[in-house]
Amino acid sequence: MQLVGAELLESREILPGQWLQAYHAPSLVTGSRAGQFVHVRTGDLSGLILRRPFSINTADGATGTITIHFRTVGRGTEWLTHLRPGDTIDMLGPLGRPFEVDAQSRHLLLIAGGLGMAGIRALADEAIRDGRQVTLLFGAASARDVYPTSLLPDEIEYVVATDDGSVGHRGFVTELVPEYEAWADQAFACGPEPMLRTLARLSVGRRGRLGVARLGRKRGGGRADPAGSPAARRKAFLQVSMEQRMGCAVGACLGCVVMTTSGTPQRVCREGPVFASEEIDWEGGWAR
Amino acid sequence: MKAKRRVVTASGAGAPVRRRPTVRKVKSAIVPAPPKPAVPKAPASVAARPQPAAPSPEPAERDAAPTSVDLTVDIGRGLVLPNPILVASGTFGYGVEYGDIVDVNRLGGICCKGTTLRPRIGNPTPRVTETPGGMLNSIGLQNPGVGAVIERYADTWAGWRVPVIVNVAGESVGDYVEVVRRLDGVPGIAGIELNISCPNIGRGGLQFAIDADAAASVTAAVRRATDLPLLVKLSPNVADVRPIARAIADAGADALTAVNTLSGIAVGPTRERPLLGNIYGGLSGPAIKPVALRIVYEVSQVVDVPVIAIGGVTELADVLDFLAVGAVAVQVGTAIFADPTLPVRLADELASVCRTRGLASYRPLIGTALPRRASAPSSKGVEYRP
Ligand SMILES: Cc1cc2nc3c(=O)[nH]c(=O)nc-3n(C[C@H](O)[C@H](O)[C@H](O)COP(=O)(O)O)c2cc1C
Ligand code: FES
Repeated sequence: MQLVGAELLESREILPGQWLQAYHAPSLVTGSRAGQFVHVRTGDLSGLILRRPFSINTADGATGTITIHFRTVGRGTEWLTHLRPGDTIDMLGPLGRPFEVDAQSRHLLLIAGGLGMAGIRALADEAIRDGRQVTLLFGAASARDVYPTSLLPDEIEYVVATDDGSVGHRGFVTELVPEYEAWADQAFACGPEPMLRTLARLSVGRRGRLGVARLGRKRGGGRADPAGSPAARRKAFLQVSMEQRMGCAVGACLGCVVMTTSGTPQRVCREGPVFASEEIDWEGGWAR
Repeated sequence: MKAKRRVVTASGAGAPVRRRPTVRKVKSAIVPAPPKPAVPKAPASVAARPQPAAPSPEPAERDAAPTSVDLTVDIGRGLVLPNPILVASGTFGYGVEYGDIVDVNRLGGICCKGTTLRPRIGNPTPRVTETPGGMLNSIGLQNPGVGAVIERYADTWAGWRVPVIVNVAGESVGDYVEVVRRLDGVPGIAGIELNISCPNIGRGGLQFAIDADAAASVTAAVRRATDLPLLVKLSPNVADVRPIARAIADAGADALTAVNTLSGIAVGPTRERPLLGNIYGGLSGPAIKPVALRIVYEVSQVVDVPVIAIGGVTELADVLDFLAVGAVAVQVGTAIFADPTLPVRLADELASVCRTRGLASYRPLIGTALPRRASAPSSKGVEYRP
């Protein structure tokens, strides 16, 4: 974790109200992994007093560049769109825990809903670099919200679903999943919570039948890895990147928690944002 | 190598040790009165500045041209803060979370997250939201319970020079007393800050903080249970804080901290329900500074124990304002989220302001905006009166 000045290199509205910005922040790129995020200071303390968290959309070690992808939803993101190349902003990162891909997983299924693309995008790069095959399922409201193919690596298979059917499958992205079930060794998802909840439900039945879960059991030789450990997550079929409102983003304020099946809320900024789907209490049971 | 600054009056380890109530004598072993600290390092705020070529000044020479400024704060009962900039409970975790980017040993003190007897899972989400010039939070005192806090962090704290003050919450007087008993005598724990803005189950859920009798009785009960320095944190959500502050001071608090968050709500984006999972949240940040200033101004005129100000500190001017209305120190909370290095920088800036004004200590800055009173506001605690 570092606090750095990041210089804006390029800022582009890639979709209506959605921006892609590239920053020069070499020390943040070093050692960052797909699934991690940065916490960005927007404006000064007299107005916007909280930083804004953004997934590391891509990280390029060679140029020391990271990109973030966001929708303008309020004054903080609005402020960012007014920056000019050469402006420097204050970034804290890399934060949180990354996706854990099992060494033996060859086929990765990535599932993104809307802005969830930002949370999963870097994993596509990482997987391709590691010589794995990637299918990316993407869901959006309609054609105008579909993430441009030109911004994705050529090597992946990109399958789109839209609510209105204006492009690709008509319906939810989750409806595409069964087709890839047998093919995928592991699945990784980021998007609205109802989407993640559906995926979690779908994955429950499959856990036993699918690649890595089976491999994990074989190798594990009895002793289970503690829930939430990188080793345990690596064996999970489905990993999800969760979203929550944040204060500190370093684990100090407990503002960002999600309820887990252990009965103890876990911090999205510290134990997450990536969790194995079976760690999450999808009913959000806060009643004791 | 590391001189332990913390005041733990217990000499031995672990087991509760009966201590004599005369703890002041310990002070000199920790920080001698003239600013030549017993710790091997000079106070951070001083070390950070390049020193003029002059040989390091003896205490007697100080008033001529102060190169080293005395920022220490004597809270009483042996608790001496290295400087008057602390971090507020709930915004700095247990001190370890910001470890990569903040040198905790340059802080004046750390108030850790509210700690209760049993583990608490806290409130449903969302728990935080930004508001104009501030934020609302409803964490609901999520914490692993006092036993786990001691087990996980006390050793780390004992290795730090910065005093760690454990913020304690409870639902009954018995809860508070039991938590404090467990903390008493544990190396690494420099003091207690009572968070009394909690519903008192014994009084139908009425907060301790809004009732002078309840506030006094919990203070007195905790006072009997420990010789640790005892700070009590005031709530701003009362009509008149002065009788409550007086009652708490009379009940044996060594210092008062003010203020906790202001009660508020936010409405959800669809306007179908309040936004926070818990409906109610606590407002903090620059938005509450005028309220905090008013309360510190009122309280410091009616009590003789030191007052530590909290509420919306984001820059040196805020620190100077709070000192002017009688605070001997300040805590920085919400602003840390945006600027984690702020508290350390404020201590440096305070020292530098003093140097510019030719002050050997920051103490002349305290109480300058208060109405004239017979005696100067105290920067020292009261002696223990069993
Ligand atoms: C996220 C958050 C959690 C907090 N938790 C506690 C707590 O556990 N105990 C407590 O006494 N105060 C707690 N507070 C209150 C702060 O310690 C402080 O009194 C308040 O935020 C005002 O200071 P500020 O404006 O500098 O933030 C919390 C505040 C925030 C923002
Ligand atoms: S945002 Fe503060 S603990 Fe996660």
